[in-house]
Amino acid sequence: MKMIKSIVRPNKVDDVKDALAKLNIAGMTVTEVRGHGKQKGHTAIYRGKEYNVSLLPKMEIEVVVTDSLADDAIKAIITAARTGEIGDGRVFVMPVMESYRIRTGERES
Amino acid sequence: MPIPPSVSGTDLPRESGDLPPRNALDAARDELRADTLRGAGGRTSLERYSARVDAIIRQLHADSGLGRTSAAVLALGGYGRRHLCLYSDIDVLILFRGTIGADEEKSLRAFLHPLWDLGVVVGHQVRELSDFDTLETDNPEFLLALVDARPVAGERELFDHFSTIFHTASTHGFILRSLLDLLDQRHAVFNGTLYQLEPDVKDSPGALRDLFSTRTIALLTDPLLLRRGPADPARFDDAEDFLLRVRSTLHLEGERQQNVLSHELQERTADLLGYPGAEPRMRVERLMSDYFRHARIVNRSLQWARKTAPVPVGPNLGVSRDGIRFLDPVQAARNPASWVAGFEAALTAQTEMSEEALSCIQQHVDRYRADDFFPQARERATLMRFLKPRPGLYDRLSEMHDCGLLGRVFPEFQAISWRVVRDFYHKYTVDEHTLLTIRNLERLWNGGTATRFRFRSILADLPAPELLVLALLFHDVGKWRDDDHALESVRMAAEVLDRLQLPADQRDMVLFLIRHHLKMSLVAFRRDTEDPEIVKQFAALVGTEERLKMLCLMTLVDIEAVSPETLTPWKEELLWRLYVDTYNHLTQRYGDELIERNQAEVDEVLQQRPADLSVAEITRFLEGLPQRYLQLFPRDAIYRHVRLARDIKPDEVHLSLEPNDGVWTLAVVTLDKPFLFSNISGVLASFGMDILRGHALTNPNGLILDVFQFTDDERFLELNPDAQQQVMRVLENVVSGRADVTARLRGRERSVFKGTPRFAPVVRADNEASGRYTIIDIVASNALGLLYRISRVISHHGCEVDLVLIATEGEKAIDVFHITKAGIKLTRAEQQALTSDLQRTLEGSV
Repeated sequence: MKMIKSIVRPNKVDDVKDALAKLNIAGMTVTEVRGHGKQKGHTAIYRGKEYNVSLLPKMEIEVVVTDSLADDAIKAIITAARTGEIGDGRVFVMPVMESYRIRTGERES
Repeated sequence: MPIPPSVSGTDLPRESGDLPPRNALDAARDELRADTLRGAGGRTSLERYSARVDAIIRQLHADSGLGRTSAAVLALGGYGRRHLCLYSDIDVLILFRGTIGADEEKSLRAFLHPLWDLGVVVGHQVRELSDFDTLETDNPEFLLALVDARPVAGERELFDHFSTIFHTASTHGFILRSLLDLLDQRHAVFNGTLYQLEPDVKDSPGALRDLFSTRTIALLTDPLLLRRGPADPARFDDAEDFLLRVRSTLHLEGERQQNVLSHELQERTADLLGYPGAEPRMRVERLMSDYFRHARIVNRSLQWARKTAPVPVGPNLGVSRDGIRFLDPVQAARNPASWVAGFEAALTAQTEMSEEALSCIQQHVDRYRADDFFPQARERATLMRFLKPRPGLYDRLSEMHDCGLLGRVFPEFQAISWRVVRDFYHKYTVDEHTLLTIRNLERLWNGGTATRFRFRSILADLPAPELLVLALLFHDVGKWRDDDHALESVRMAAEVLDRLQLPADQRDMVLFLIRHHLKMSLVAFRRDTEDPEIVKQFAALVGTEERLKMLCLMTLVDIEAVSPETLTPWKEELLWRLYVDTYNHLTQRYGDELIERNQAEVDEVLQQRPADLSVAEITRFLEGLPQRYLQLFPRDAIYRHVRLARDIKPDEVHLSLEPNDGVWTLAVVTLDKPFLFSNISGVLASFGMDILRGHALTNPNGLILDVFQFTDDERFLELNPDAQQQVMRVLENVVSGRADVTARLRGRERSVFKGTPRFAPVVRADNEASGRYTIIDIVASNALGLLYRISRVISHHGCEVDLVLIATEGEKAIDVFHITKAGIKLTRAEQQALTSDLQRTLEGSV
């Protein structure tokens, strides 16, 4: 199994969700996060006063998929979240050693 | 409002007057002496004596010729209360309906001279009815005496007229405050204790003045107050009778106005009042024991009344320890139009509505329809004042809702009462969610967290935040149905606004907010706000900064009211970024978006045009002005501007100047002229006008429309009949070059233009924001003539001022100038030179 953690623009969450749903990936965790990568924020000026927007609002989407689905899921996320501009986000992929269903204690493969 | 009792009948009767006044007075005094010697010089005897004096006054009035003038004689103070003792002053007011001329003065002398000749001390006041138009605040004792005024002779109707003028909530409030001050001063003379060995039965704590003061407090605030007091009303009356009997003996024995119950007089008084005891000491002890018992009752009642009495805060409204009360619940039950005023008074006094008042409303509210609560503009204005966000607004609205008033005033709101909408995020019923949005706004008003401070600054800027509250109140009423609620909310809110007869621009604002209350969160959280096109579209939707501010705050408090967890710092940040980007777009880029022929908004203006305006005339005026113009001004203002521009010639200036609710609006239409903007702002400054808001607009044909809103703090326009013409004349002369504004400003410059700014000014030049203009953004301390100084510097640099936005927020002036030089944007060097000069000017160093 793989855990795919993607950091995307807030307005791309619905597109990513739809793309994953087409792969029958429904279970996911979505979190509001703030941070920056290469896109180091910018300075907004409001009435002569500068507002330094260094941490940008992003959405984090976590899904756990079988190894066989991982590549398709990654492609779907990248396609759905891409605008081509700096700040589109990142996708991280991590191996999952084990997984348990808390209600039943059942181990999933 | 309680009115003192008066005699019945149209005119006061004249006594038969068997005896001449001198003999009648002697007989009356003999009668009172005899009563006093029997120990019975109490209330009944004094009332009888007062009635005898009334008869004498009427006789003198009839004999004087005062009866032939429109006048009335009123008894004041103790005489008004019918408590005249043997040597009491006889206080009267001779009141004339009209101006006091020679005939009236002659009659007055003919009345007063015989009265003085009787050997009584007369305290007389003479007034014309119009004198009571202004409260005599420097004479509180006289005002207190007027509370007990009753008509004795002359025109009864004149007294009634006087009562109507005099007995108002504000007058009662002033008299009450004065009375409490006088009480404190008098008590201080007696070291604040009633236990005096030789008490003054008139002035000591617990004596007659305190007794009458207690009654006056009740009369001015709550006529039923003493029924709930610490002493049985009968015991209070006993105390009065006792004190009057003692006072009568003191007058009798002293043969003058003697009010101190001295050691010497205590024995005689005890004897006259029939106290038993073998020794004088024993009789005196019993007398004094009785005195202190009665004085204590009076003292306790007074202290209780001071703590409990509602202070008048409006017609039939008083504030007491348990909140706002209806002084007369029976009257309140018949007058639903006064109920919202009660809640407004509670907000102002930072208290709540009393349980008694809420019960009264709850009991009677179902008898009335929505229209009954706002029969006139006054009640509608009260509602709008009530809706201004302040501490307690949510609590008061909740009280209104709980007692059934809110749903009755607004049946549209009743439709969502306890309404449950099942979804994954809302945690409260629709009505409570709605009220919580208002609580969130109220909390924002009070401060809020550090990250909210930026939103609070937006709220503080709003000229009419009550419109936002109104929009919040109805933004979800459409949820009584299950389909698209925003449109249904608009439909229902429109009916409310029709009933409230809100001005068209305010109505449009409220409906806009309701219609689009979900739009900003949609764009902020689900659209790519880094895409300038998205911001441009959103800016086009909101149109003006005021709408943007309101919608932003509405979105914030609406999300926060969904559940405690819904408004995260993440969402706040996204919302704020969209706000800032849109604000900057609205203020800096509007010059690039011009009105074009055949666009939908222009068609609407054309279709609804008045008969005197042609399609060609309107089109010629509008074409090439910024799009923003159509959103800034209501239709009627647009048509007025078109008329102003009619047939304008190069050397002409067309002006209009109109007041509206304390703010003047000046519209100037002319063809482009050098220093135009600087000259207009200079002329306004030279007349001491403080410019609050304004817009300078230009179209490609060189037509200039400048609209200024300003306050006239020195009231020049109000106090001088020809002031408007004078201002217009000077403007015409200065703008057309026939007069120089600099000379006019010399005096003012020395007095007000200089001075240390309260915070460091910010001047910023931007060549990127607009395709056509260099934007100069200025934030500085607001000051008279500020705009003139800024625009003069810009003009001296050879720049053309094409578009200007002027805003004032508290002490801050925010001005955005769109300028060019020789038709193009400024070079970097030109920008630096200009901003440096502006900075120095605003810092006061040049």
